Amino acid sequence: MIVWLRQVRALAALAVLELYRRKDLVVVLILSLLILCPLAFFTPFGVKGASRYVNELAMLPIWIFSAVIALGVSARLFPPEFESRTIFPLLAKPVDRGTLLAGKFLGACAASLSALVIFYLAYGLLTGVRQGLWFPVVFLQALLLHAGFVVVVSALGLLGSLVLTPSANLTICSLVVAGMFFYGQRLPGLVAGQPPPANALLGLIHWIGPHVEFFDLRRRVVHEWPPVPWRVCLAVTAYAAAYAIVCLLAARSLFIRKKI
Amino acid sequence: MATNSIVELHEVTRRFGAVAAVDRLSLDVRQGEILGFLGTNGAGKTTTIKLMLGFARPDEGTVSVLGGAPERPATRRRIGYMPETAHYYPYLDIHELLRFYGGLCGLDAATIRARAARLIERVGLADAGRRLLRHYSKGMLQRAGIAQALLHDPDLLILDEPLTGLDPLARIQFRDLLLELRSEGKTIFFSSHELSEAELICDRVAILKQGAQVWCGALRDVAGDGRQNLERIFLKHLAGEVAP
Repeated sequence: MIVWLRQVRALAALAVLELYRRKDLVVVLILSLLILCPLAFFTPFGVKGASRYVNELAMLPIWIFSAVIALGVSARLFPPEFESRTIFPLLAKPVDRGTLLAGKFLGACAASLSALVIFYLAYGLLTGVRQGLWFPVVFLQALLLHAGFVVVVSALGLLGSLVLTPSANLTICSLVVAGMFFYGQRLPGLVAGQPPPANALLGLIHWIGPHVEFFDLRRRVVHEWPPVPWRVCLAVTAYAAAYAIVCLLAARSLFIRKKI
Repeated sequence: MATNSIVELHEVTRRFGAVAAVDRLSLDVRQGEILGFLGTNGAGKTTTIKLMLGFARPDEGTVSVLGGAPERPATRRRIGYMPETAHYYPYLDIHELLRFYGGLCGLDAATIRARAARLIERVGLADAGRRLLRHYSKGMLQRAGIAQALLHDPDLLILDEPLTGLDPLARIQFRDLLLELRSEGKTIFFSSHELSEAELICDRVAILKQGAQVWCGALRDVAGDGRQNLERIFLKHLAGEVAP
């Protein structure tokens, strides 16, 4: 068990170290702060309530950048190992492929979640300074569910990286995530209104697609609505965990059969 | 030198479609020796190494490494492998690289630190300091490769074209290192097409042609002849001719 933990920690640390050394995150952080800071101190038309819509605008880049980072990191976990041939010394070590996959996934999650926490800290501090609301419960719930979103996206990116080229993986995963984010809620209605076989296809997407819209608490945070019941939070977190586990099991099955 | 086998390949065949990359190959690597594994490009050397490391399974025959199946973690814990060319993680320095591989081998932090410090000195990378691997030359990456292969103190070293990209001085240092390792009791499987280097360091040599072994023998048996050096043997068995 100790050996397994050391192996997973080594793999996870590699992903985190590479993300920070590559400086991608620094660029994204600077960009997001450049967007967040002016918005945080901007009151449109001098109307206090209107600033909520500015907050909503500020939350959007956090969602976009967190998805970009999660996909960027997870999609790059395996292809460079094959391109640079480091997969050979890696697999020659006493580590099985399942552990390798788990370690890499945890590393991708840790790297992306660390970036997410920085984004939320920046947003929380800026809105706290302006509105005097310091990290309310709904804000923490939003962070928790957003973390679930990052885990699902990372699992999806990792699975895609084993079957697609990096660019195809990024494109397809981005389309799936964006599509489900904006249209996921409307899918049941669309299914009911379509003739066969379109309804069967939409029904399939509804059942197997990642319902990332579940994780979105932006409006509650922005409009200072009351928190959602914790059981709902737990159910959505469990959905994230279950979806990630299914993706990882599929990835494991592919990776074990993959010819090196 | 003890004669018990560390690696045993028995009638091993590995096909890719209709082509046999390894064809009924039988080979043994004995404890404490340096076995040169020679052949032209595409002869099947790397495929044989993949079979020895358990990356691929033979279609026919058996592979036994250190008395067990090569894919078992317990077996791999005793194998050090250096690939032909690997561009190790560009955003790590040599200390971080060895910490990473040490972690994969299940070593604790103190052991990794102590071994890494010794190995970095031994492979001549002490001057590289904290420089990231992306700034390394090809030769320095090869040194990093041998360091990661030796980190967990393996009994068997499998080296795939280890001299690629090394300058003459580095080659001499590398040769000395291999001889030192042999004197420490390590068994070394040395895949190469560098005949002169193989002649200098190998105890025995196996020559591969189109996946099949065409010659295997001890160099000391042919060295005294004065006529039949490794190059002549190689030419004779691969090109079917003897050099003048």
